[in-house]
Amino acid sequence: MKVILNNTELNIFKGATLNDLVLMYSERSYKMLKNNKLCIYDRFGNMTEPDGPVYEGQVFFLKRAE
Amino acid sequence: MKLRLLFLFLAVFAIGLANNELFAQKQKKSTQVIILHTNDMHSKIDNFGKLAYLADSLRKTNKYVLLVAAGDNFTGNPIVDMYPDKGYPMIDIMNKLHFDATAVGNHEFDMGQELQNKRRLQATFPFISCNIDAANAVVKQPDPFVILKAGKLKIPFLGIIQLGENGLPDSHPSRLEGIKFTDGIEKAKEFVYLKDKYGMLICLSHLGVETDEKLAAAYPQFDLIIGGHSHTTMKEPMMVNGVMIVQAGSGLKFVGKTTLTITKGKITDRKYELIALADIPKTDPEVQAMIDKYNVNEEMSKVVAFAESAFGSQEELGCMMTDAITARMKVDFAFQNGGGIRISSLPQGNILMKDVFRLDPFGNQVVTFNMTVKEIKSLLVNSYNRNKSLDLVPSGMTYMVIVNGEGLCTGVDIEDRMGNPLDETKTYTVGVNSYISASYKFDHTDPGVTSFNTTAQTLLDFLGDVKKVSYAGERRASEKK
Repeated sequence: MKVILNNTELNIFKGATLNDLVLMYSERSYKMLKNNKLCIYDRFGNMTEPDGPVYEGQVFFLKRAE
Repeated sequence: MKLRLLFLFLAVFAIGLANNELFAQKQKKSTQVIILHTNDMHSKIDNFGKLAYLADSLRKTNKYVLLVAAGDNFTGNPIVDMYPDKGYPMIDIMNKLHFDATAVGNHEFDMGQELQNKRRLQATFPFISCNIDAANAVVKQPDPFVILKAGKLKIPFLGIIQLGENGLPDSHPSRLEGIKFTDGIEKAKEFVYLKDKYGMLICLSHLGVETDEKLAAAYPQFDLIIGGHSHTTMKEPMMVNGVMIVQAGSGLKFVGKTTLTITKGKITDRKYELIALADIPKTDPEVQAMIDKYNVNEEMSKVVAFAESAFGSQEELGCMMTDAITARMKVDFAFQNGGGIRISSLPQGNILMKDVFRLDPFGNQVVTFNMTVKEIKSLLVNSYNRNKSLDLVPSGMTYMVIVNGEGLCTGVDIEDRMGNPLDETKTYTVGVNSYISASYKFDHTDPGVTSFNTTAQTLLDFLGDVKKVSYAGERRASEKK
């Protein structure tokens, strides 16, 4: 399924979580996420936990943690 | 006679008024109701002591405090999920905190329908969902809504569960047998009359924020949607079509506190606050004692093997899982789907029993098939084309998929453990988990047979046999574009 992270379309398996999506996007970003240096935001601007599910067509952004 | 008629008229009028819920709601001038709400707790119990302290503190200073959950109470902590009576600790603690209601989430089905019934019987609060029809299923029919009381005020909470593209909640299809699910947004139409009847309407939604937005756009009758499923941590509420949407993350790290001001039977003010439970300075000692008791589970902390090197990827972990199936089930090949590998790394050192259940928490069973090479290739090609990406981690072989310009797999080259091509005339034994068996489309004349062993138990048995493992850098699937 296709999910967009930071304006990049990623093709990831069904049942993936945001953790998987960020790892697919970039290992460096994934490590930063794990170290609480990055947070994930949905298309509405809400923060989303990394264990949340992702679905076809969803859009997410990574931002530096406040 | 006239006097008698007058009394009769007044009596009938009074009865009529008493039956009018809306009129009854309007008797109060202004009332504050605090709703504490969690969602997607996923069996995480460690912060319940803090939540209990917070709830009790609020109850001391506020007359009306409700405590609700928006679904997915289970799956995610082996302390709860692998308790001898699965899920028992979660409900035991939720009862202690006096939860008032929970929505049914998709992961409520992970333990199976009979066990869900058991947990719902154990609960002193209702599980609600309006888009589940369990008339022909093992699971007990949930009520679509619950009316929670705050003094004389009656507040309706409507439950809704998410459905995936296949029309089912995200759980193993075999655990949903006999249950009919209908679209939540469509089904909600039947219940918006509650707004007219009670003057207010709250949704306890396990739809995810994207669908909550659509629900709010369709039904301005909702005053509040307390959301779940998407694990969204809302510092501020979303306002859509006049409907307030809130959600409090996952894993009981946060709790939402929404304060309703109800004036003359209608909600006249809504305030939302996200509270980090880490910031609550105290814990309820009785609840903490329950948590401590459940967390002392020597079995879960048992060392089951030693990792000579760290696991750095899902693929490395998947190789260990499939090697367990080939070794223990004595099959030629095994496959593990990426979505079923629930952690992505494991450090060097002791592997504990609880690590195995974090890696593989679903309770899937091992299913074995007799398959031709053509059928195995069909599985590999189709698994790739599900998402146009590598998915299955194999054991007993390596494989390379050939991908065309459209990203579709058109063929696959397979080699056995020794690097030799497979014998096209031979039938091989293949082990996969029951999720793959139920949901992946592939050619197979053998319908398969369950081993009645879970994949997690198979892995535990394998680790007990080999004692030491090392999978650093292991790669068995690749693609050629």
